[in-house]
Amino acid sequence: MSVRPKAVSKDAIFRLSRIERQEALVGVAFILPFLILYVIFNFLPILQGFWISLHNWDVIGTNVRFVGFRNYEILFGKDKLFWSSLEHTLFFALLAGPGLIVTGLALALMLNQRVRGIGIFRTIFYMPNILSVTVVGLVFARVFAPGERGFVNAVLSSIGLEPIPWFLDEANAMPTIAITKVWWSVGFNMLIFLAGLQEISQSLYDAAKVDGGGRWTLFRHITLPGLRRPMLFVIVLQLIASVQVFPLIDVLTGGGPAGSTRPLVMYLFERSFDYWQLGYGSAIAFVMFVFLFSISIIQLWFFSRGEGD
Amino acid sequence: MESVPSINQLGAQQAEREKQQTRRNLAITAAMSIFAFVWLIPIAWTLALSFRPEDSITANLTLLLPLPFTAENYDFVFSSSRIPRWFLNSLIVASLRTFLQLMICSLAAYSFARVKFPFRQTVFYFVLIGLMVPGQATFIPVYLLFSNLKLLNSFPALIVPGIASPFAVFLLVQFFKGIPIELEEAARLDGASRIGVYWRIFLPLSTPVLTALAIFTFLGAWNEYLWPLVAATDPEVMTITIGLTNLTATTYTANYGETMAAAWTAGLPIVGFFFVFQKRIISGIQISSGIK
Repeated sequence: MSVRPKAVSKDAIFRLSRIERQEALVGVAFILPFLILYVIFNFLPILQGFWISLHNWDVIGTNVRFVGFRNYEILFGKDKLFWSSLEHTLFFALLAGPGLIVTGLALALMLNQRVRGIGIFRTIFYMPNILSVTVVGLVFARVFAPGERGFVNAVLSSIGLEPIPWFLDEANAMPTIAITKVWWSVGFNMLIFLAGLQEISQSLYDAAKVDGGGRWTLFRHITLPGLRRPMLFVIVLQLIASVQVFPLIDVLTGGGPAGSTRPLVMYLFERSFDYWQLGYGSAIAFVMFVFLFSISIIQLWFFSRGEGD
Repeated sequence: MESVPSINQLGAQQAEREKQQTRRNLAITAAMSIFAFVWLIPIAWTLALSFRPEDSITANLTLLLPLPFTAENYDFVFSSSRIPRWFLNSLIVASLRTFLQLMICSLAAYSFARVKFPFRQTVFYFVLIGLMVPGQATFIPVYLLFSNLKLLNSFPALIVPGIASPFAVFLLVQFFKGIPIELEEAARLDGASRIGVYWRIFLPLSTPVLTALAIFTFLGAWNEYLWPLVAATDPEVMTITIGLTNLTATTYTANYGETMAAAWTAGLPIVGFFFVFQKRIISGIQISSGIK
């Protein structure tokens, strides 16, 4: 009695495994084009980059010499330009980050009111975000041009104030870059916060109002806690983007005046492609990679933990 | 003892509250309008500059209107600069990369979501690592690769490295997992092959997410900076984003009208693109952030 079903199931298993094998073949074939490109252009370059960073790789292909961790020793030990470019990067992050978050949140809060024409405002504030960095650079080089050739200075002088050398002054250059950055990309944060605000249940507010909560109490105890996820998301993205800042500064000041706005990636770029020290450049790149990778891991851990709440 | 308010009193309170609300809304709208106006000045001013003759610009710099109107600056840009060529290059690079990325990533995503093969989960985690790798960490080795292949300053150099996007695969796997399995099983019973299911069921059902992805890939490729800066130094293959940096170098004394015409030749099509796809762009950002 038990023999026949067994024979059938054996046969079934045999047939299934043939189908399974076929299925596996199809599955692998489908991911293969992606996987090949991914390995060549995303994965292997990290390992190669680390390998190159252990060399003096001065001119492409010729004069390659293994030096162990010497590049890293120089980088951390006595490279003043590395530390100053790191400082500039942090300075940028400290100026632009809070500016982007506070302005983004303020815009989102205002847009979340039931007022007419919200769509138009949302479009206006988001639009700069899609412009390329070079267009933004060309526009803001004129908006903040020195003397009376710039829009802001022309307005200042028309009300009797002295023109300000925005990008040409060491003290003003980075804050002016940060202002440009806020104009360019605050719309993105605004959209994220707006989405978060719309997820907060109106009943929470109604209940708090019955309990006699004022505007500030509502914001402090309902809105802000409700925005925990979007806030974290925005902060992490901001941090990652700030560490990578380069194109905007490159088109606005080129790192000047006198190298006072040169960020980390610009330094990496100059070492690699102006001085052709690819080993040294790769060491800087690898340090950045380790740092950014760690931030991402922490973010991942944080968000997966948040999921369980 | 509390007195019960009369109907009239209640009505008056209600009216008072509504009045307050209207006043508050008006104040917010006014504040937003001022803010929006300031926000638009950089665009309005430089756009106006691009349509004004140079002597009039020198005479009245801050005018926000294109008066007196001229198209000379654009004539100059189109007839005696490389900008049309760079524009075409950007169009080719961005379109081809978008198309290839969508094809290759959606095929892989379908396989990750629905086809069973050994080590599927492990390979998927391996791909997710790529989400955390910044471009600066990979561009020197990739540069050396293209340099060895003698392929720098070519379209493949600008297009191919951006095709395999871990983010695209991740997003599409999430979406594909939500497509009812019954649809697929029914089609399979009718004799559809795996590729048939992918092409006739999964792709058409994913139009919204594919469109959002296409828009962001296209914009990303159009606006890309670091990689084309090193990969395409020959003016014949430069993208417009990189080509225009040659103009930023020409300091503040350069001709304003022509420079701004160049900038907006690059910028206006993207602004137009934004207005056409506005809804999808905005919802796409909110969806892919995982907030909504």
